[in-house]
Amino acid sequence: MNISDSERVRSVLERIGYVWTDNEEEANLLGILACSVRQKPIDKVYNKISQWNRWKNKRNLVTFISGCILPTDKERFLKLFDLIFSMSELSQLPAMIRDYGVVTPGALDSSVTAMPANENIFQLWDVKPNYQSDFEAYVPIQNGCDKFCTYCAVPYTRGREVSRPSQEIIDEVAHLAARGYKSITLLGQNVNSYGLDKKGEEITFPELLRAIGEAGNKLQQKFWLYFTSPHPSDMTREVIEVISQYDCLAKQIHLPLQSGDDRMLIKMKRSHDLQKYREIVQDIRQLIPQATLFTDIIVGFTSETEEAFQNTVEAFQEFKFNMAYIAKYSPRPGAASYRWEDDVTNDEKKGRYQRLTLVLKRHAYRYNQSLVNKEMEILVTGKDRKGQYLQGLTEGKIITRIESLDESLIGKIVPAKIISAADFSLTAQLA
Amino acid sequence: MMDFKIDTNFYTVSQVRHLTEHAFVVQVPRRNFKFTAGQHLVLGMKDDYHTREYSIYSGENEEVLEVLVKEVEEGYLSPRLKQVKEGDSLEIHGPFGHFGIEEKKRDTHKHVFIASGSGIAPFRSMVKTYPELDYQLIHGVRTIDEGYERENYSTDRYVLCTSRDDNGDFKGRVTAYLHEQEFDKNTQFYLCGNSQMIFDVLELLKNKGFGRDSVSAEVYF
Ligand SMILES: Cc1cc2nc3c(=O)[nH]c(=O)nc-3n(C[C@H](O)[C@H](O)[C@H](O)COP(=O)(O)OP(=O)(O)OC[C@H]3O[C@@H](n4cnc5c(N)ncnc54)[C@H](O)[C@@H]3O)c2cc1C
Ligand code: SF4
Repeated sequence: MNISDSERVRSVLERIGYVWTDNEEEANLLGILACSVRQKPIDKVYNKISQWNRWKNKRNLVTFISGCILPTDKERFLKLFDLIFSMSELSQLPAMIRDYGVVTPGALDSSVTAMPANENIFQLWDVKPNYQSDFEAYVPIQNGCDKFCTYCAVPYTRGREVSRPSQEIIDEVAHLAARGYKSITLLGQNVNSYGLDKKGEEITFPELLRAIGEAGNKLQQKFWLYFTSPHPSDMTREVIEVISQYDCLAKQIHLPLQSGDDRMLIKMKRSHDLQKYREIVQDIRQLIPQATLFTDIIVGFTSETEEAFQNTVEAFQEFKFNMAYIAKYSPRPGAASYRWEDDVTNDEKKGRYQRLTLVLKRHAYRYNQSLVNKEMEILVTGKDRKGQYLQGLTEGKIITRIESLDESLIGKIVPAKIISAADFSLTAQLA
Repeated sequence: MMDFKIDTNFYTVSQVRHLTEHAFVVQVPRRNFKFTAGQHLVLGMKDDYHTREYSIYSGENEEVLEVLVKEVEEGYLSPRLKQVKEGDSLEIHGPFGHFGIEEKKRDTHKHVFIASGSGIAPFRSMVKTYPELDYQLIHGVRTIDEGYERENYSTDRYVLCTSRDDNGDFKGRVTAYLHEQEFDKNTQFYLCGNSQMIFDVLELLKNKGFGRDSVSAEVYF
């Protein structure tokens, strides 16, 4: 064991909310820092992981391996461990934990699961993070994925979708809201397919939202409930209708498009086409016109032509996203596309990224500009980077700088007047 | 001793059928492997860390589990799989994916399967599973010998399109064949194989008035 590396890993994990335990049998996250210079330690790794994988049959456990690993072992370990990373990728570990469907609240930095431990909760949902925020919380509702997008290894590594019991989710959200949490996000790889793994036994996603909406109506506390990420193919008009009916269901939708080209969507095995996406956006605009729309996009996926990319540009012009997380395609080990030719050059990917960002900026700015002189509610989240202003988020998650240094407002939703707009942010004065 | 949890994923090869110089069927006993026709599995060789996806070729009710593999000469796994013999051990995970007969349309629609090369595999599984299915299978290959095990399909339901010889049912690509065909509006299409074929057929079907709701696709590469 490489002690200093293991300390670094430990510190990263503790920063995102994990608590160290000396008892292997009670851990939710177990990992190995391997050394493959000699065969013996590697043999031990195989012994260990086979034991841990047996434990996984009884409880939900996440495993990782890092250190010096031979490429051949790496391929093998991919199948045995949930996460595999090199020490140089250590800083990305929190994002990987999130990407791989391990929806620990801590992986998103500010976190809390507030409910007391419940014997029925899968161990994964029972991680005890450090309480880093007392107004923003993340509630895992589901783990794993059944979608098999060709660029993604999650379904092969994390396994099938498993929905957390709805009553626990509703109780946890109500409990958090009652304690004054203002921004609560339901987390999962495909939140809107919630319950489909237990058809007939568990409620559906819109029913879950409705139940939370009802619980929210009964509470005196104001809060905004978000969810991420939904999959377009499981997105129904009913979900949008429910959002429109309850104040606590935030008017912000994050709906990954990935590509605006139907051929690319087929090659990505996204199981929705542009028309399906368009119909959802039409429903959003009709039923919750005030909602902001965020998306995820991959540029430069294998065989993406300029024409295919232009279709994504056109989709941006049509849907006028407020924010897009644009990724330059890079093959992921374990995904089907990993072996397909990565035939769009890096320069081309970079160019497409920049061109798309420009289109995004134009529309985001136009929207932000339309808010100037309006009074809006802002959740104050802290001070800005230079410490000169307060910073917060609108209900639609637009970053807003507030001309005040009254730290007592942090964690509160306050009324403010928007006085100016930038590409991705607003400036406001307290009303 | 190494103690692999994955022991249960090892299967002993019960048969290998070489269909052409480059295509072969690998068979293992089914055991408790449950799947729906159209799904794929992930296959690897013992003591080798590489795995690949393969559509299941056998039917849901058969006692064996089969895959049809087309050797990619410069590829890694398929040339090695070609050397596999009865009694060898293979590692199998799955089933995975959602490709399959549209349940709601099973008895109300005609099912048109369009495959290139080894993309015929999931359709064989569907035909074996649902012998009563109202289907048509259009198989695009280069030469007649690539009409893999075509005796499995009744001649009035199977069309072999050969692009490099005149011995199939139609000389030319599947797109050329489809171009000339009329389809009832109650038709569900299923495309499987290389992405270029899938893109071309999608375009063609779109021009014939069939949108994405009428088409499912499984891309191999
Ligand atoms: C969901 C899914 C199901 C699949 N089902 C089958 C199946 O039933 N039968 C089958 O033979 N293959 C199938 N494949 C392809 C298979 O997984 C492998 O990619 C293929 O066997 C080549 O593996 P390899 O290790 O020999 O080649 P690699 O070393 O992985 O190199 C493969 C290269 O060849 C290309 N390639 C992949 N398949 C072919 C092909 N058939 N002809 C020409 N080039 C190809 C790839 O794009 C890649 O560039 C499937 C793929 C997917 C994603
Ligand atoms: S990208 Fe696709 S396969 Fe991966 S987690 Fe999301 S929906 Fe599932």
